[in-house]
Amino acid sequence: MINFNNVTKVYGKDSVALDHVDLGIDPGEFVFLVGASGSGKSTMVRLILKELEPSAGSITVNGVRLSGIPRRSVPRHRRSIGCVFQDFKLLPNKTAAENVAYAMEVTGQKRRAIRVKVPQILDLVGLGEQAEKYPDQLSGGEQQRVSIARAFVGQPPILIADEPTGNLDPDTSVGIMQLLHRINRIGTTVLVATHDREMVDVMRKRVVALEDGRVVRDMVKGGYANEV
Amino acid sequence: MRFNLGFFLREAAKNMRLNALMSVTAVTTTAVCVLVLGVGLLVSAHVEGILRGVGKDVAITAFFPEDVTREQIDQDRRQVEGYPEVEEVVFVSEAEALNRVKDMLSEQPEVMEGLDPDIMQASMEIRLADPEASDAVAERLRAEGFSEENLNYPQQTISQLNQVTGYVIWALRAATVLFLVASVLLISNAIRISIFARRKEIEVMKLVGASDGFVRTPFVLEGLAQGLIGATIAALVVVWGNAIFVEWASSALPFVPVSSSAVNTLLVLLVLIAVGVLIGIVGSFVSVRRFLRV
Repeated sequence: MINFNNVTKVYGKDSVALDHVDLGIDPGEFVFLVGASGSGKSTMVRLILKELEPSAGSITVNGVRLSGIPRRSVPRHRRSIGCVFQDFKLLPNKTAAENVAYAMEVTGQKRRAIRVKVPQILDLVGLGEQAEKYPDQLSGGEQQRVSIARAFVGQPPILIADEPTGNLDPDTSVGIMQLLHRINRIGTTVLVATHDREMVDVMRKRVVALEDGRVVRDMVKGGYANEV
Repeated sequence: MRFNLGFFLREAAKNMRLNALMSVTAVTTTAVCVLVLGVGLLVSAHVEGILRGVGKDVAITAFFPEDVTREQIDQDRRQVEGYPEVEEVVFVSEAEALNRVKDMLSEQPEVMEGLDPDIMQASMEIRLADPEASDAVAERLRAEGFSEENLNYPQQTISQLNQVTGYVIWALRAATVLFLVASVLLISNAIRISIFARRKEIEVMKLVGASDGFVRTPFVLEGLAQGLIGATIAALVVVWGNAIFVEWASSALPFVPVSSSAVNTLLVLLVLIAVGVLIGIVGSFVSVRRFLRV
């Protein structure tokens, strides 16, 4: 589903963010990408979204080599990847429902389809009651749920979350992780970049650990730390 | 992907409502710039109109001697009409000349009482197609036997006038172009500020998978609407001001040939609105592009 083939990313002249990374993620997998700040997690996420280009090596997402995608087709590529960010990245001038609807309008879907789908997906993430509230009227956890609803509304085959619980308290984080887990069980490939140690230990999923731009560990049912 | 006009219009309208202050700024800037541009257009149109009017009045008057015969007059007239530089020849008889004087002095009719047309001199008024040719025409008339005192032609005035006319019109056109450049810069700057305030939004839109066109369209529609509103207000003010000026000038400055026909009102209206709309569209298009590179 996502394949990194000997990928190196160098910022500027000699700031190496990723160093010959090989990584394969199969369809339907749930993968944690762990590592300290600056270990290269965000760089990997941004490479998958084609926000950045690798300095060397190749990346395949959903069977498509990213280097072969022309600039004008990048939006379509991004629509096949649901994205959740640490800072939610909601549009402040739109209600929860409108934020979710925007992701559908972007793909040119009919208003009728949007009216049916948006309440369903908000119910799914447990925000049916808050549909008409603006982001600044919602708690952090609620905003992150809106953001997940937005990422998932187009039913993309891949969902990527970059530090989804970074701004949330532990209790709220559990809810967010459960939501991501449910989305994964429907068949979506989920990649979560995080340094939320507890969460990774509880979930017992595949863990890929990065250190200074290299994959130092890849375990099928791993924990955050080296043991197990 | 189909073009969802309804969605884009709703987005643009909502953005303008939420960023009301920015919209007012953009509309006001457009209005002021279009207003200045419109005034420039008007002034140059009126100056050209006045100069054309004055140029039209440039004529040579040739007075006939007292003892001239009817045949002589007709012959002279036909001859002068044949000159290539001459546009029109109007014969003014003694009686007509007297009538003109009476008209001018219509407030004191008693002055003219008992006056005989004989005291007036018959003449022909020669309008020239080309004001510069007055010297040559006068020369020919002298050759025909008209004495210098029987000829009346403002030769020096004409050549000076032509020179001044050239400078004034040239200067006005340059000023208009400068105003146009200044207004484009001012407006695109105002739009850029309003878009800069929303660059985070644009970034998020792009990350959710919106194409450049999808993000840009509401902004461009917004620019179009703001340009349209601002320019329409300004254009109406310009046209209204013009009407007032023409009316005032015709009563307060009767000797200056200000005419309403010097300005094509509809054309000015359309040009000003078109300029405003164009500035709005181009300004927002260019300004958004800088923030689309995510």
